Amino acid sequence: MQAAILTDTTKCIGCRQCVIACKRANNLEPDVPRRWALEDGLSARNWTSIEDRPDGKFVRKQCRHCLEPTCVSVCPVGALQKTSIGPVIYDGNKCMGCRYCMMACPYGIPRYDWDQTAPYVRKCILCYDRVKAGGQPACTEVCPTGATIFGDRSELLAIAHERVEKAPDTYIKKVWGEHEVGGTSVMYVSDTDLTFLTQGRELGNEPMPNRTKLAMNAVPFAFVGMATTMAGINWIIGRRMKLEREPEQASGRREDKNA
Amino acid sequence: MRRVRRLKLILWLVTGLALAVAIARFLFGLGATTNLSDATPWGFWIGFDVMSGVALAAGGFVITGVCYIFKLERFHSIVRPAVLTAFLGYLAVAFGLLFDLGLPWNIWHMVIYWNPRSPLFEVGWCVMLYLTVLTLEFFPVPAEEFSALARVRRFLVRIRLPLVIVGIGLSTLHQSSLGSLFLIMPHHLHPLWYSPILPVLFFVSAVGLGMMMVMFESHSTAYLYRRKPETPLLARLGGLARWILLGYVVVRLVDLAARGQLRQLIAGGWQTWMFWFELAVMAIVPATLLFLPAVRNSRRAQWAVASMGVFGVVLNRVNVGGVVHFGRQSYLPAWTELAISAGVVSFAMLVFMWVVERFKVWEERPADPAAETRFLPEFDRLGMSWLGTPIAGARAVYSLAFVVAAALGFALINPQPAASRGVEPSPVHHALGGDVLFIDGNHDGFGVSMPHTSHQAHGDKDGCASCHHMNAPGDQNTGCHQCHQDMYMASDAFNHRWHASPHGAALECNDCHVSGKTRRAETAKVCGDCHTDLVPKGAPFEVKQYRAVGYVQAMHQLCIGCHAEMAQQMGVEDFARCSACHGQSTTPTTIEKLHQRRPQRASKRIVLPPY
Repeated sequence: MQAAILTDTTKCIGCRQCVIACKRANNLEPDVPRRWALEDGLSARNWTSIEDRPDGKFVRKQCRHCLEPTCVSVCPVGALQKTSIGPVIYDGNKCMGCRYCMMACPYGIPRYDWDQTAPYVRKCILCYDRVKAGGQPACTEVCPTGATIFGDRSELLAIAHERVEKAPDTYIKKVWGEHEVGGTSVMYVSDTDLTFLTQGRELGNEPMPNRTKLAMNAVPFAFVGMATTMAGINWIIGRRMKLEREPEQASGRREDKNA
Repeated sequence: MRRVRRLKLILWLVTGLALAVAIARFLFGLGATTNLSDATPWGFWIGFDVMSGVALAAGGFVITGVCYIFKLERFHSIVRPAVLTAFLGYLAVAFGLLFDLGLPWNIWHMVIYWNPRSPLFEVGWCVMLYLTVLTLEFFPVPAEEFSALARVRRFLVRIRLPLVIVGIGLSTLHQSSLGSLFLIMPHHLHPLWYSPILPVLFFVSAVGLGMMMVMFESHSTAYLYRRKPETPLLARLGGLARWILLGYVVVRLVDLAARGQLRQLIAGGWQTWMFWFELAVMAIVPATLLFLPAVRNSRRAQWAVASMGVFGVVLNRVNVGGVVHFGRQSYLPAWTELAISAGVVSFAMLVFMWVVERFKVWEERPADPAAETRFLPEFDRLGMSWLGTPIAGARAVYSLAFVVAAALGFALINPQPAASRGVEPSPVHHALGGDVLFIDGNHDGFGVSMPHTSHQAHGDKDGCASCHHMNAPGDQNTGCHQCHQDMYMASDAFNHRWHASPHGAALECNDCHVSGKTRRAETAKVCGDCHTDLVPKGAPFEVKQYRAVGYVQAMHQLCIGCHAEMAQQMGVEDFARCSACHGQSTTPTTIEKLHQRRPQRASKRIVLPPY
């Protein structure tokens, strides 16, 4: 089972029941707008939000739980992990607060406890405990219109394609999250353009961690290569200097003999 | 030694200021003391302290390589200061990073929790190892002073060549990996900077900068301590540096061409100007100038070129670290961030000066300018005068400067942990109408027409009280807006000031607050304990708190429950929909019709959640 969520923006009425349910389920304190918060409504205490789009549509924003997550690949201490059942979860006991995950996430999802003296990274964890126990996330449970539903990723993909094909006039012919950055567990079908979720840029279908793979794989070779080269150069130069010196010494010795 | 003393005074001032800021940063957290945000999680501390700091410390591996690997023995006289600069540079990076990390006490986690896929993991490990190597490389210098350490020193000198080789290998790795950090964010970096060969560019520029930094450091200390400048030797170093810088320019332009981004060079945005300025300052101009013999052999020109190159590389690192990221232009470092960075650099410089004054870093050791303060002034009876240095000797002045600056820092810091953009209050007004009540708290014209008469007619025997659940003391007809004073935010229904004022209720504290407990709203009596007439008979409410929820929430709590119940009982699903009350279908007549089918409702108790 690959836990996944499918959000259908045509069905969302913007009631924000999912936002409230998320706060209850994860024990998140009330939040006030802060200097450090972004306009999208996500914060360390709001793990999901509804964005009011200028065209009157509502789009739910949350962690995409990528199949090959960027945050997991960049975390130097492995505080973020992709679980086998789908959710990307966070272990605050390992975290050292470098915030590389926040820089690297292509969707800009992780948020920080800026007001705390011992701050942690916060984001949606797809209600890992509930999903592991066989339940479903709080947000999909309360959605009154079925705009956001929970299920196995392959089944949800089938549903998504079916919806898009049945009503090609309503939907944009695309399932967001099917192939993007190697695929995500949180997917969208929509009647409005969702590229704003990535600041208007196309991310491509290649998983982000592939971009550092080459450089990281080269590390041992770079070290050994550099060290060997240096040792070699040192030996050659040393040898040359020795050879330059030897004839002098040799001739010097001969002179001595003559004397 | 006046130059040294003046500089030290300034450095101690900056360090003192930074100490105050550092304490505030750990007391109040990052949000209150920096301008970092969810939009710019990495700021000046990463761009300058870490990325530039590591690059500036590149002189160590470059000079040891030139001297011991390529056996250019003439550079031997600048090896010690270069290694010392690198050693202190890396210490400063590690120390500065502690301020930036959210949980700095977990920095050692990298040793036990591994993620070899992360470039940052690799940088962290290499910096740790290289710092160890640098310690071993520099240790023989202070060890000269202590005869007990002679054997350790001899051993370290014997393994110097392997140490140098390992040091070069480690430096290659992490200097380039600092570039790899950004390979994973093509969506952030401007195409003029984002390149798959960022690691290579970072490494080459670090080698060039290492030489520049050695020139800069050598000339600066020569000026400071009035030493003889090593101009001819540095001219040879400049001769090497120009080729590396030139190579850097070529690689960078070829890379742009290969990626098909050459048109960005004339695109004309501010990024284009920034790119040209950066490349000119860090490589093109210094390389060109170093080809002119007049420049290469002049002390002042060398210093100017080196400063320019150093500034250029710092600019490059800060740019890649955040300036040229998309959507991150709103960030400007707070003065507190600048103060910490300046403090870390100042303290490193003070340590550098202490080491060169105490140990044999150069051939001749400069006199300790603070040494004279060891002799307190004494009254010389013979000459009838005070001899010795004035009581306010160098050390006393430095200490005073440090304390004054720290005090100034504490005075200037104004942490605002609760800093908020603020919520616009939207006050609520009386609902209008009579038989049909138009409920529109904020008077924006979008409201709900509530047929009051039919709600009255179909209420059970305590009908009124199910909506009119609470009255102000002595009142029988209190409007909703009198307690639910804001559309969205909770408001305080209790007037503490009036209750405590001698002109109001004139109550003693202990009349409401139970003695022996902390005086808080949660531990005090509730309204109903004194005002027995607040809740009308039959109202399904209990008063357990002073806080009244926002107007919108209050109305919804009141209506939605009944409506959902009614909808089920009547089998009319529409009755529970938002549009039953909101929207255009909300004419009194349709609602009236529905209400006529409404059956009797059993009363239900609603308990407000605790505070």
